[in-house]
Amino acid sequence: MVFVLFALSILIFYLTRGLLPASTALAPYINPRIGDAGKLSLARALGVATATCPSYQAFASEASGCIVPLWGQYYGWLMNVLTGNWGFTLLPGIAGTATTWSVFFSRFPYTAELAIAAAILTIAIGIPLGIVSATHNNKLPDHASRIISLGGYSVPQFWFGALLQILFVLYVRVNGAGLLPATGALTTTCAICIANPGQITTYSGLPMLDAILSLNFAYFWDSLVALALPSITLAITSIGALTRIVRSSMMDVLRQDYILLARSKGLKDSVVIYRHALRNAVLPAVTVSGLLVAYLLGGAVIVEIVFSWPGVGNASLAAADVLDINFLELYVLVTALIIVVTNLVVDVLYSIIDPRIRY
Amino acid sequence: MESERPSEADRFGRRADLKYSFYLLRRNPIVLAGCVISVFSVLLALLSPLLVNPSSWHAQDLNLRLCWNNPMYNWHIANVFDCAGSVYPLGTDMYGRSLSNMIILAIPIDLEIALEVVVSAVVIGVIFGSIAAYVGGVIDEIILRITDDFLAVPGILLAIVMIVVMGRSLPVLTFAVLITWWPFYVRLMRSQVLSEKEKPYVERLRAMGAGATRILFKHVVPNSIYPVLVQATLDIGAVILTVSALTFIGLTPSSLLPELGNLSNQGIQYIFTAPWLILFPGLTILVISLGFNLLGDGIRDIFDPRLRR
Repeated sequence: MVFVLFALSILIFYLTRGLLPASTALAPYINPRIGDAGKLSLARALGVATATCPSYQAFASEASGCIVPLWGQYYGWLMNVLTGNWGFTLLPGIAGTATTWSVFFSRFPYTAELAIAAAILTIAIGIPLGIVSATHNNKLPDHASRIISLGGYSVPQFWFGALLQILFVLYVRVNGAGLLPATGALTTTCAICIANPGQITTYSGLPMLDAILSLNFAYFWDSLVALALPSITLAITSIGALTRIVRSSMMDVLRQDYILLARSKGLKDSVVIYRHALRNAVLPAVTVSGLLVAYLLGGAVIVEIVFSWPGVGNASLAAADVLDINFLELYVLVTALIIVVTNLVVDVLYSIIDPRIRY
Repeated sequence: MESERPSEADRFGRRADLKYSFYLLRRNPIVLAGCVISVFSVLLALLSPLLVNPSSWHAQDLNLRLCWNNPMYNWHIANVFDCAGSVYPLGTDMYGRSLSNMIILAIPIDLEIALEVVVSAVVIGVIFGSIAAYVGGVIDEIILRITDDFLAVPGILLAIVMIVVMGRSLPVLTFAVLITWWPFYVRLMRSQVLSEKEKPYVERLRAMGAGATRILFKHVVPNSIYPVLVQATLDIGAVILTVSALTFIGLTPSSLLPELGNLSNQGIQYIFTAPWLILFPGLTILVISLGFNLLGDGIRDIFDPRLRR
């Protein structure tokens, strides 16, 4: 687990530093007012410029003997990063005023909220759909859920999101306004939140959780409504994937002898399916939950763009435009950490829900 | 025809097998639909330079931007511009180009990238996956750990970083998607070869004195490649989705380029004033990827002789 993160940090470091000019490494740490001598000593402190480098001009033009070889730079970078020193953000509008770390983690809760909501939707829709599909094999519900899962696989997420926006803003209208907000994490009609911004205390950064903890239910309702369209859009692909997995594993399980035994004992269909079959049928779905998390965190970038959601995916594109490499590196590593931890939790969880593989 | 006795090959050999496969294919309407859609989109891609002047995407006419004059549908939106004179069945985009022409020009670009990515990923996956499984030991471990790293990041994130660093061009876009795609094929091929190499016939070949390379690439790989090819068909749709998502978020060489995601990127900016601009390119992506997904599903059920019987 640690090895994967370590190897990944090397990969992402070589990819970004190896292909970009060495002076881009300085940008997040630089104060524009310091002179060339200051810049040079900064480059030395960061482990990018060698001690023998005569001047900043020589460093910027990458004169020979001025740039520390990449593996040496990696050591300097790693030491910086492990102490949490990611430098200042280069994002337009707030460049230099906040650290990359604080900007990332002030925005990350929004992405997390979106991904968690989509994960809940995926499980709540995907598993029942898969079960219905398997128990009504080749009947109408099966065909319907297969169309949903195949459609979910094939539909471009940005298009699906745009379709929902067009539908709910242009055509489904209540009292002269669109039924659901198309963009942002809050509806603009939330009078209470705008009048009393102090009513929300930031406990976790997740808007909905904070609203509950602050007992501000108007705010809660508002963020829930704003979350509706983005989370459905984000979930659509993973719903298709999960339905498919649950369907095929459920059909396998229903052919087993112990299901026949349960049926011959005269148990009701619902008991057979939900008590005996379901536990075994969701096992393959649990194994791919790491992949599911990767799906959701990756898809969040697209969905956040479509819905102007104030999360990290949206910020990462602004970071890409201004070559804020530190932000992108932080994004990749945090996401990888989440996926790796998910896989670890799944491994532990697996032995609990499947007693057969316990040692 | 009837009186002629079918030859041995016709009744039992590969030809009979293929014939039976096509018979099953014809009988399954869903697969047939997928087949028709994918063949049609490939044909459209091949014919697109004949249907539309390939360099017409450079021509801008700002007088005709975002207009709609197809009488078959009324969008019920205030202030939709009417294109004066010429007919645009799917309206025009923000540069005043005919959207239908742009979509026809975009299909070969997307399909070409998808094909390049999938074919390269299959080749890499087959070579490294089968070597990892057949040789085992340290080589297997190294290849597995490398794929682990790539699987721990959402592909789209890695692709964004690569495009930002290496520059915005179609070859880089293709390369970035390929980088995130090949590990799946290595894993898939590896698991197939792992189970295939334990079969008795491999043992027998070894006893007959066949070399490792010959056993692996002449016997084991052809016997374990079916699931990889099915996955490849399914992935053409998925690659088109990924590529168009990347160009949609703005990682594109030029905003003028007729590419389905790029056209949608224009569309999202005018979503409430010119909805057609996002609807039709997105619909094209949906139809093409649905076609290849249906086809892949069908091929999985039909062409794999072991699954069939």
